[in-house]
Amino acid sequence: MASNRKYWKSVEELNENSSIVAKLEENEFVSDIATDEFLGDKETLEESSTSRRDFLKYVGFSTAAASLAACEGPVRKSIPYVIKPEEITPGIANYYASTIADGYDFANVLVKTREGRPILIKPNKLANGSTNARVQASVLSLYDSLRLTGPKVNGNAISWSDANGQIKATLAELKNKGEKVVVLTGTLASPSTEKLIANFAAANGNVQHVQYDALSESATLDAFQEVYGTRALPNYDFSDASVIVSIGADFLGDWQGGGFEKSYTAGRQVATGKMSRHIQIESNMSLTGSNADKRIVLKPSEQIFALINLYNAVTGENLPSKATPKDADIKNAAKQLKKAGSKAVVVTGIQDKNAQLIALALNNALASSVMDTAAVKYTRQGNDADVQQLIADMKAGKVGAVISYGANPVYTLANSADFVAGLKKVKLSVAFASSEDETASVAQYALPTPHYLEAWGDVQISAGSYSLTQPTINPLFDTKQFQDCLLDWSGSSEAYYDFLKNSWASDVLNGTSWNQALHDGLFTTKVEELAAKSIDVAAAASALKAETKGGAFELTLFASTAIGDGQQANNPWLQELPDPLTRAAWDNYLTISQADATALGFSNPIQDNGAINGDYANVTVGGTILENVPVLIQPGQAKGSFGLAVGYGKTKAMKSEMQVGVNAYTLAKGLKLVQVASVEKVGGTHKFACEQLQHTIAGRYEILKETSLTSYNDSSLDPKESWNQVTKVSLKHEEVSVNDVDLWDDQDRSIGHHFNLSIDLSDCTGCGACVVACHAENNVPVVGKHEVRVGRDMHWLRIDRYYSSELDATSEERTENVNTTSDSVSDYYNLEVPAENPQVAFQPVMCQHCNHAPCETVCPVAATSHGRQGQNQMAYNRCVGTRYCANNCPYRVRRFNWFKYNENSEFDFNMNDDYGKMVLNPDVVVRSRGVMEKCSFCIQATQQVILNAKKDGRKVAPGEFNDAVACSSACTTGALVFGDVNEEKDEIVEKKADKRMYRLLEAIGTDNNVLYQVKVRNTEEA
Amino acid sequence: MSSHYEAPIREPLVLGDKSYHDITVDIAKPIEGKANKNWYIAFTISLIAFLWGIGCISYTIGTGIGVWGLNKNIGWAWDITNFVWWVGIGHAGTLISAVLLLFRQRWRMAINRSAEAMTIFAVFQAGLFPLIHMGRPWNGYWVLPIPNQFGSLWVNFNSPLLWDVFAISTYLSVSLVFWWTGLLPDFAMLRDRAVKPFQKKIYALLSFGWSGRAKDWQRFEEVSLVLAGLATPLVLSVHTIVSMDFATSINPGWHSTIFPPYFVAGAIFSGFAMVQTLLGIMRKVTNLENYITRLHVEYMNMVIMLTGGIVAVAYASEFFIAWYTGSPYENFTYMSVGAATGAYGWAFWSLILFNILIPQFLWIRSVRRSFIGSFLISIAINIGMWFERFDIIAIVLSKGHLPSTWTRFEPTFVDVGIFIGTIGFFGVLFLLYARTFPVIAQAEVKSIMKVSGENYKKLRDGNHE
Repeated sequence: MASNRKYWKSVEELNENSSIVAKLEENEFVSDIATDEFLGDKETLEESSTSRRDFLKYVGFSTAAASLAACEGPVRKSIPYVIKPEEITPGIANYYASTIADGYDFANVLVKTREGRPILIKPNKLANGSTNARVQASVLSLYDSLRLTGPKVNGNAISWSDANGQIKATLAELKNKGEKVVVLTGTLASPSTEKLIANFAAANGNVQHVQYDALSESATLDAFQEVYGTRALPNYDFSDASVIVSIGADFLGDWQGGGFEKSYTAGRQVATGKMSRHIQIESNMSLTGSNADKRIVLKPSEQIFALINLYNAVTGENLPSKATPKDADIKNAAKQLKKAGSKAVVVTGIQDKNAQLIALALNNALASSVMDTAAVKYTRQGNDADVQQLIADMKAGKVGAVISYGANPVYTLANSADFVAGLKKVKLSVAFASSEDETASVAQYALPTPHYLEAWGDVQISAGSYSLTQPTINPLFDTKQFQDCLLDWSGSSEAYYDFLKNSWASDVLNGTSWNQALHDGLFTTKVEELAAKSIDVAAAASALKAETKGGAFELTLFASTAIGDGQQANNPWLQELPDPLTRAAWDNYLTISQADATALGFSNPIQDNGAINGDYANVTVGGTILENVPVLIQPGQAKGSFGLAVGYGKTKAMKSEMQVGVNAYTLAKGLKLVQVASVEKVGGTHKFACEQLQHTIAGRYEILKETSLTSYNDSSLDPKESWNQVTKVSLKHEEVSVNDVDLWDDQDRSIGHHFNLSIDLSDCTGCGACVVACHAENNVPVVGKHEVRVGRDMHWLRIDRYYSSELDATSEERTENVNTTSDSVSDYYNLEVPAENPQVAFQPVMCQHCNHAPCETVCPVAATSHGRQGQNQMAYNRCVGTRYCANNCPYRVRRFNWFKYNENSEFDFNMNDDYGKMVLNPDVVVRSRGVMEKCSFCIQATQQVILNAKKDGRKVAPGEFNDAVACSSACTTGALVFGDVNEEKDEIVEKKADKRMYRLLEAIGTDNNVLYQVKVRNTEEA
Repeated sequence: MSSHYEAPIREPLVLGDKSYHDITVDIAKPIEGKANKNWYIAFTISLIAFLWGIGCISYTIGTGIGVWGLNKNIGWAWDITNFVWWVGIGHAGTLISAVLLLFRQRWRMAINRSAEAMTIFAVFQAGLFPLIHMGRPWNGYWVLPIPNQFGSLWVNFNSPLLWDVFAISTYLSVSLVFWWTGLLPDFAMLRDRAVKPFQKKIYALLSFGWSGRAKDWQRFEEVSLVLAGLATPLVLSVHTIVSMDFATSINPGWHSTIFPPYFVAGAIFSGFAMVQTLLGIMRKVTNLENYITRLHVEYMNMVIMLTGGIVAVAYASEFFIAWYTGSPYENFTYMSVGAATGAYGWAFWSLILFNILIPQFLWIRSVRRSFIGSFLISIAINIGMWFERFDIIAIVLSKGHLPSTWTRFEPTFVDVGIFIGTIGFFGVLFLLYARTFPVIAQAEVKSIMKVSGENYKKLRDGNHE
């Protein structure tokens, strides 16, 4: 029903005559709204097609847009492929065989790339390759933000065409004048480059190629050349050896280019019942010495006489010599060498041609089959005499041009001032360098070279084994290869790639496929053994005796495991890698024996924050003073000797955090690493960044079980009762093994994959390759010197080092010798003090992936829980950061993100710059501040293997998991074996059943998925 | 509830010639009067410390736990030390109000209010640490079993930290209710005396409309008894659960079955020491000498002696067992030769000195009954009990199973700042409480006036003569 009611709008309507009411009946408003005033003149308004509705739409849209813009997320620059390269599928990794040859490290590698970015280096197992920590870390050096981004002349940017044009003009000028052009390189070992230099020489007249190694093996090369006629290094197959005597040769380190660890451990496989006996005579505690069965401590000058005495004792000759304090041990060693006959070998690191001659003669006298004179090595080519002559010539103005490549003489020469002075007199100085290093910044032309991952190349590591380097990414910067420039300067228009391919076709491949060689990364040919000339040992010995003076204190310079010769010093992974022995990172320091330290007043007090401090010393060698060298006491250092690592103290093209240590090259006078030195204590306190304070195992012998080869082979001993004892507990008044007692209800773990990792303490040399590999694979942050110092390193995998007193006893006897239950205070103290010349053992420790994990039960939010495949998993997103799990972890492998380690200028390492971030593994999350992290058994890699197999419709092949996981695939010696215990053909099954197998801290009952194999030492004395 | 006769040889609990009205006036005086200079000085200092603590906490949350002195092997130090210390201090309140109520101990009436206030304020401080020690405190609510949208995520009931969450929150809520119940008649008294309308309104609200009828009193008594019954197990449970943070772990030195009773005794020990410290100051400042007497001090000292004795025996047995096991892993627990002679020897010996040796002076009656003597000893115990927790946490973590992981801990200014901040916060709360709350349960004290008041006792005893 319609309503007739009238609604009053106002009282005004009562008044019928009101004009307002009348008006309101027609209009909405009483008076006109002053629209004209704000809408301007009518004309323009009428012209506009914008209606009121449109206006409201605009207002609404712009308000919405403004508010949306305000909550915009962070901008991520990503550009999709317009045309996707055939071989790149986002999310799928590609692998390329390549070879690193930076003049210091030589290795056949496999490069993992993701979306066109190299992110991980693996050993190329097809080419029998092996990697060390520096090779593993080299992928990060590619993304070094301080690399040289374009050519420079006298510090100013220049284009490549201008630079090449100017250099070519100068070279032509010099050619006309007949002036000498010197190509100064590090060890190239590249057949094609050497051919190229020869071509360059042919095109440019008076050209000399000088090779220079910062850590020179010139003496060995000279000796070998004299005897065998070829400038090369003898090769050694230690797998064939039954007795190895090394006099100052750090062959598990960088000695003669390194790469011996594989054959060394191959000769020490205890499962075969045999292992080589390794006697090391040295002054510094080296990685090799720490792995030796017997370590004899002698000063460098005494080592020379030890070598002659050893020669005398083996051959029965009577060369001129002097007595050494350890002659009895040396006689003993000689006896063992003689007994081993052709299976014996003597190697020496003494940088003296005569000493090397005696060593060669000794091996020849033994008819050593270990020394290989066929597949000789080319990993060191430097010629000290040429280098010194070059400096003299430059200073005399006899050199017209110096073109340096793969060398940084201004940094690595002790007489670098002479070199710089000489370089100033040279008309043309060109430095090819990856960064504006010391040499590049004093040369006229600084020409950027690509990283080996961006370049072509070839290497002949040893005779008959040719390797190829191929680019795995487009050059990041405006770089050109040295070889391309050289081709240009020789007047050739060929690219180096074509030159390389052609020269391989003509010189190497012998008709076989280039593509196959490139795919494999290695091509091998047969080589012949070299014939030896006779050696005048008597003359060598008398010369040695006459020359060797020795001194009260002798300094041995060495290359550290992490930094090597220093060319990768700006690599944060390497800086953060602790030295395997001192476990100090971010530093070099003078190592000194406890006795000398006491006498000279040096000490290393531990601070309340758990950091080690040290004193400074001024080290003087022949008038050159190296100031403020920190001093660290090193058990096993020979009395009267010091050690100091080179490769530090670099300041050019280095991030400020990375400018650590002192430049010890300044003391390597005449390229000799052994010098008579004097040391003087100076004021100041040095702050070390040590990851381990405690040196000994404090009587807890079941942590690191050791035995002798004799006990191991003694079938009358039950391992579980003797050298691999299991802790016993009382159950119902009967003694049973702790493994038989369990409070937990176990799950059935026999279905599906179940991962175990075996760590063979006998095979682990402590090289640290796995630590860096883990960093690379798992985006483990670098935290810097201060944080490492206060015990906050983030290593998911660490290698513990323990010193034990040298007792030729099995561990069970040793346990009885030390009364650990005594309440005497002095016993506690003694347990904590390492011996003067201790034995060393390395123990890699990562998350043990306990089946009964103590961390899992204590997390209030269940952020860490157990996986079906045996992993103890960590859900970062769920973690609130109570750190209870870390406190309850008996292995202390959990790492907490104390700060934000990425995109934080306080931690200016690779995760804080755009280039460095390119190395991050996209399969692994970068952890945020406040969460716990730890080893995941590389779950991203194992899952990838499983998925690949599933896609292919096959079972996972044995060994596939082992090659996928970062640490085990990086391990050269096979100490780390990863696999699926439910796959019976997997190597891990054997390892789990091995009589040497034990679990770390078994008595706690955590039922670890990481297994250890008892360390065996060959203590048999002849 | 109180009996109406007390033996003449017992000392009176209320001194002086007091009438009911005198008590009312005495208790209401600090609230109705103006604060003196000392109060303002103390409050300013506390407030500055509190603000400094807030600054340090903000810095921690803004930057990361790395601003503390912790490291990869020592994941807890001052944070959990302070947590356990404050929880321990909170123990005396419940013991005094609940257990002593059930045992009909009249002397509790003069001290229970402040002891309970101390409990609640201490639990506030304690509760702060588990939250701020987290790496991501903004996700702290994940430890609560709240139905959520994160998927099937739920808390881990195996974790002692979760038990802590329940234990502390239960303890806080029960203590708060208990405290408030006792406050009702006293708030009503203040309401009735208040002259300013605003104050009257506030106290009316706080007293929940207490009318003083017989029915009110009857219900009050009943609720008190029921709550006392509920709270008594909490005295044992809270610190038992706190001790399980350590006892259920596998670190040598933590993994110890003796921990629950030993921690409970330690908590009461430290709680009474803190009551002693606070009341020692308060009775002087607020002129309550007649209510908190030598007798009260002596009784509290006796509890301290008993619990201190238990703690000392626990130390001895820990020391003995560490040696007796013969296990090399026990060589460096917080009670071992290794600890006594090692880097943390100073902390070990501080513990022995402050917690075992100094309290032995209480065997001497004159010391036990001396205000200044017990005040000093209570300070020593507070320090000693802090060291106990520090030793248990830092020494044990600094020497774990693997010698390669041995390290040390040094606090940063932030660690210290947060601790000072909580003391400041506690001080602020306690000082505000002293000015606004009746600090003595006057209604209860009045109930024993005629039984144990000095003047009444004199009158009664005089009749016998």
